[in-house]
Amino acid sequence: MTIAQRAQEKKPAATGIARPGAKAGQASEFTLISKLKPGAADRIRALLADGFTGERQKNTDRIATVHDLRFVIFDNDTRIIFASTFDGGWDTYIDDFGGIIPDEIDLLFHEFEGYPGINAPGIKDWIVAQQVTAVGFYSAYPQASVRDVWKALKIKVAVDTLLDIASN
Amino acid sequence: MSFCQKSLYLGRERGVEMFKSAYILNMQTENIPVLEVNDIQATVLRPRPSPYRGQYVVLRIDDAAQGREMLRRIIPYVAPAEDWWLTTLPGWMGIAFTYHGLKALGLPATSLETFPQEFREGMASRAPILRDVGDSAPSNWEYPFGTPDMHVAIAIYAKDEESLEATLAMARQSHHDLPNISVVYRLRFSELPNGRNPFGFKDGLHNPNVEGSGAVVHPGSGRPIKAGEFIMGYPDELGVTASKPEPEVLRRNGTFVAFRKFQMRVAAFRKYVREQASSPEEEELIAAKMVGRWRSGAPLVLASDSDDPELGADQKRNNAFSYEDDMQGLKCPFSAHIRRVNPRDALKNELVATNLHQFLRRGTNYGPPLPEGVLEDDGVQRGGVFLLIGVHQRQQFEFVQSQWITDGNFISHGREEDPILGNSGTEGIFTIPKRPVRRRLHGLPQFVAVQGGEYCFMPGLRALKWLAGLEAGGMTE
Repeated sequence: MTIAQRAQEKKPAATGIARPGAKAGQASEFTLISKLKPGAADRIRALLADGFTGERQKNTDRIATVHDLRFVIFDNDTRIIFASTFDGGWDTYIDDFGGIIPDEIDLLFHEFEGYPGINAPGIKDWIVAQQVTAVGFYSAYPQASVRDVWKALKIKVAVDTLLDIASN
Repeated sequence: MSFCQKSLYLGRERGVEMFKSAYILNMQTENIPVLEVNDIQATVLRPRPSPYRGQYVVLRIDDAAQGREMLRRIIPYVAPAEDWWLTTLPGWMGIAFTYHGLKALGLPATSLETFPQEFREGMASRAPILRDVGDSAPSNWEYPFGTPDMHVAIAIYAKDEESLEATLAMARQSHHDLPNISVVYRLRFSELPNGRNPFGFKDGLHNPNVEGSGAVVHPGSGRPIKAGEFIMGYPDELGVTASKPEPEVLRRNGTFVAFRKFQMRVAAFRKYVREQASSPEEEELIAAKMVGRWRSGAPLVLASDSDDPELGADQKRNNAFSYEDDMQGLKCPFSAHIRRVNPRDALKNELVATNLHQFLRRGTNYGPPLPEGVLEDDGVQRGGVFLLIGVHQRQQFEFVQSQWITDGNFISHGREEDPILGNSGTEGIFTIPKRPVRRRLHGLPQFVAVQGGEYCFMPGLRALKWLAGLEAGGMTE
């Protein structure tokens, strides 16, 4: 075990308030299953046709705690799964998202039946009601946050460059 | 209501008269709700006197009727926010209630259950979130903190010893003949020489700018924050006016207070800083890097090489800075205490709404200063008591404590903690950005231990009367 890993092992991740969702180290899984509004499946396909690129990638990167996320439409286009792995607890920053990128969040979720809007008073209760806790959850790097990984990748590039320069 | 509106209007005008020459005032516009400063407790909006003396008193109520009688007697001495500058007041009180306190006063369950979760659970049960572990764990707290015996917290402020005694005598009158009201805790506090904290730093230099409060605003306090973040009855930063706890008469002009009592390990701090430094100048620099300010209060961003006492003493300049020109943390480290707890514009590129994570800080110190030059602990208790005031404690104090003080991920510092307030139960690291290579300190011990804490509800004056059964429709047997 490296020193960095030991340093990070000392305590569990901070979470806001007890919520559904399994944990692996400081990472949480989040699985939300919802009915879709009539005709929503095709609209969502069109919305996500370009994936998380451009502005959408930038905005998602800014969150800086999301390891991955996916939308899965199933049951003859009547239901949807939103699944994600992220650092910490989901409600720690949810008010911040509502304050800074409400339109982007609402755009992604407004086709979910009953979605009240990111800034609606009932948003947290709605999320909890749709959330299903995973029965099994694995992370290959449970102690590393998104920011840790980004930093490590930057360092790897820098070290490689350093070694290349030193050996030339 | 019209009387209230009128008197508070007059109050604000008087405030303008007194302070317009020295300070920039909170700008009033038509869209800003008028705060009922004659109903809001002074402790919420007004800085404590300076110099100050005072005492925290915690009461336990074993009989609801006696509890309400005590309240009825004490209410006349609870200062509203509009009267804080009246020099004729020998001293004044702030009063707040824990969950168990409201229960002991006879507040019905239908109301109690509308209070926020963290308040109902109590601060001790939030220890895993707040990382109150190791020496700071609730099992090590002083009595009555973390127990159901803490009911009513009273803060008594005065400008000198004589005034304090007079005010304390009034406070005693409120319950001396009520056998079922007991004093379970007392702590005297007073300002240290030169207004420094026990570590030797001038502090308390920043508080958020509460929109519409009429409170004095020093340059650097940032844009006005909606009053609803700090006082119920007004819209908050998300445009929401609190609809709980119920009933409305109880919550209006009230707020929540996170009470934290800290032991400050001054000798350990001095010793650690000395061990890391090779000269007295470097010692001062390392200490300043940890805090983000020099001892005088001069911020590192404005004085990066050495202390500037003139700057530190100047209220117009000592808080007037941003991190715009220090986004690399070369002047003030990312991990410095003041940059963590109040990032100003340092996180402007991140997806974090800093306006949702603000609270008012009312700090006081207890214990004598550790004499200059002493590096060994003298066994004397010293530290600070902080009242962290805000309506949304989970997004305010709890967020700042769990995300910004006891974690480093938000600044890509892994699990590095606040060098001053963090590192409970485990040795820490502290990163000082520097060119060409950073400096990193290892083995930081815990310099501040939590000795007690609790969430309290600080009602408005009308709500106090309602609790005491004095208002029509108020609580009675």
